[in-house]
Amino acid sequence: MSRLGTLVRQTMTIARRDFVATVFTPTFLIFLFAPVVMGSFGAIGGLGANAATSGGGEKSRIVALVSGDQARLMMQVDARLRRVYRDADEAPPILTTKEPATDAAAQARAQIDDRGVDVAAVAYGPLDHPQILYTPRATRAGDYAGDYLAELAEQTLRAERAGVAPLSSATKIKVDRTTPRLGRGKESGFFAVFAIFFLTLLLAGQVVSGVAEEKGNKVIEILAAAVPLESVFFGKLLGTFGVALLFLVFWGTLISQIGTLMPAGMAAGLAALTPAMGMPMFTLLFFGYFTMAYMLLGAVFLGVGAQASSVREIQLLSLPITLIQVSMFGLGAIAISHPSGWLATFARVFPLSSPYFMAGRAAQSPDLWPHVVALAWQAVWVAIFVAVGVHAFRRGVLQSGSGKFRWKGLFGRA
Amino acid sequence: MHDNLAISATGLVKKFSGRRVVDGVDIAVPTGMIYGVLGPNGAGKTTTLRMLLGIIEPDEGHRTLLGTERPRSVSDRVGYLPEERGLYPAMKAREAVAFMGALRGLPLRTGRKRAVDLLEAAGLGHAADDKIRKLSKGMAQLVQLLGSIVHQPELLVLDEPFSGLDPVNQERLEALILAERDRGATVVLSTHVMAHAERLCDRLAIIAKGRRRFEGTVAEARGLLPMQATYTPRNDDAHIADYLPADAQHRGDGWRFTVPQEGSEQVLSRLIGAGYGISGLSIERPSLHDAFVKIVGRAALEDQA
Repeated sequence: MSRLGTLVRQTMTIARRDFVATVFTPTFLIFLFAPVVMGSFGAIGGLGANAATSGGGEKSRIVALVSGDQARLMMQVDARLRRVYRDADEAPPILTTKEPATDAAAQARAQIDDRGVDVAAVAYGPLDHPQILYTPRATRAGDYAGDYLAELAEQTLRAERAGVAPLSSATKIKVDRTTPRLGRGKESGFFAVFAIFFLTLLLAGQVVSGVAEEKGNKVIEILAAAVPLESVFFGKLLGTFGVALLFLVFWGTLISQIGTLMPAGMAAGLAALTPAMGMPMFTLLFFGYFTMAYMLLGAVFLGVGAQASSVREIQLLSLPITLIQVSMFGLGAIAISHPSGWLATFARVFPLSSPYFMAGRAAQSPDLWPHVVALAWQAVWVAIFVAVGVHAFRRGVLQSGSGKFRWKGLFGRA
Repeated sequence: MHDNLAISATGLVKKFSGRRVVDGVDIAVPTGMIYGVLGPNGAGKTTTLRMLLGIIEPDEGHRTLLGTERPRSVSDRVGYLPEERGLYPAMKAREAVAFMGALRGLPLRTGRKRAVDLLEAAGLGHAADDKIRKLSKGMAQLVQLLGSIVHQPELLVLDEPFSGLDPVNQERLEALILAERDRGATVVLSTHVMAHAERLCDRLAIIAKGRRRFEGTVAEARGLLPMQATYTPRNDDAHIADYLPADAQHRGDGWRFTVPQEGSEQVLSRLIGAGYGISGLSIERPSLHDAFVKIVGRAALEDQA
């Protein structure tokens, strides 16, 4: 068998062992269903938050101190204006009209301070020159409650003169664009960057403890004697990547088969994605860049984690690992929104951010050749990171080596 | 380089933090033999073996393993039991043996089949499907040894294979090592327990303070010391010491002394002539243990000097 063939065989032996040892354990089920737990907590939190805000919304009011016919007319105008709001959260608070008292200003102030109801704004005085009191509110609708009352006054006066019957009758026709909407490319690009960040954040961190098991149970000496350390490191990377793939395939299949599992916003967002090079090629490149992001970060984490001598040290590494991932995501996301700047050039070339940025570019630009170059560039850096990790491990942990960096160990004869 | 050498090393040096842990060791291991690397704790045995196998690189010197200067390139033909035992606790015994074979190029299916046979032969057939964490230390150690021979290596390197084993398992292990030699493999084992080396080794090297202090057969090692006689007179009195060699010491009912280079006949003639007679006499060849203590002790004195 050729040297490469032997290397591949040894690598796959390590990868297979790691994959089997991870997947065929009860702990893997916890890992596999972690998104359910995350989703459940998210849903519970969302429901709680929703209940809190909707509870507040029901009690929130805007008040107009107008009398008689003007009050009725204002209610009709309000009903017509509210039809443009599809989202209840966006709509202004419910309108209440009240007969103005002698001292309307004091009455308005008393409305604001009412403990029984949350009044966002109060209008009083003649409609052609209304006085509006308002309180700053958390929601957008609340912030504009005062403006809404002013518009109500304007429209009520217009209705008084022209009547409430509609003057125009529109016919709506739904059509699809034949060209990507401006800005959709950026959205698709950001989605790609975020998706890779999310997946690597979820899955790549486990690589850091890859060699710790072997160091802990002394198997590393057996492995180091039998196969090149490069095979051990690559095998560990591939083994954990296999676990990550299984995770992706499982959830991908589940979500695609049971579309209702996907949040409505996400489903609509995915459906609206229009990558510049077409969905099949984009999907292929996305997978390629996810693989490279995983391998690059994994190789760095594996190399650093291999130097750790205890579980505590590995735990300490989790913060810098997360920071690296977040900073690469940030770099990729910023660069993708300004793809011609120097930051974009840096993000394109810097190995750890390159997969994020290039995945975003795949959504924005139809050119294929930059991706071929980028994937090759990233693959070279995976090899470099593994070689550096192996070198450090050999020197620091096995206390071996003459100090010379062994490219041959990776690319040539041992 | 001799064609019939499984291992050949000259001038191996390894420094840790500036200290020469191995200081110019030469080793030549003929094929088909059981070769012992003996030495006290911290002598540099393990470091020497790791350099020979290519796990670590020597700072100086050359080594050849199975005819190549790149030991890693022949790792599929080598079996290795390290001093620090290591197995995956969650693996079944059968899988552990097969996995170690797979690392050395043996297909998993073949490895699994051989693993069952080997475990049966070693008296561990009942534990083939037990996880390593359930096995006793001695059983796990035997499993690891089986893992190092499952691919039928040409060269088997065992670092302190007997440590931690009870007498029954030690005997099993000895039988396994002899069987490997009979199969045609070269076996290199390091130990500081002389009894095992004496029973097993065809040749041996004694390493102390990072240097090789002796190389040869067990008999040659024992031959470094003169034979010892234990003599019990028929009649004893205060003057008998005048007829005995100068180093004679009274032990119980008799005397113990070093057999002179020319033999014991003259001493015995003198004693019989003086009327002391012979009630008991035994002449003993020194043990490997004695030779080892002398060689290591001499090494310590040389280093002090």
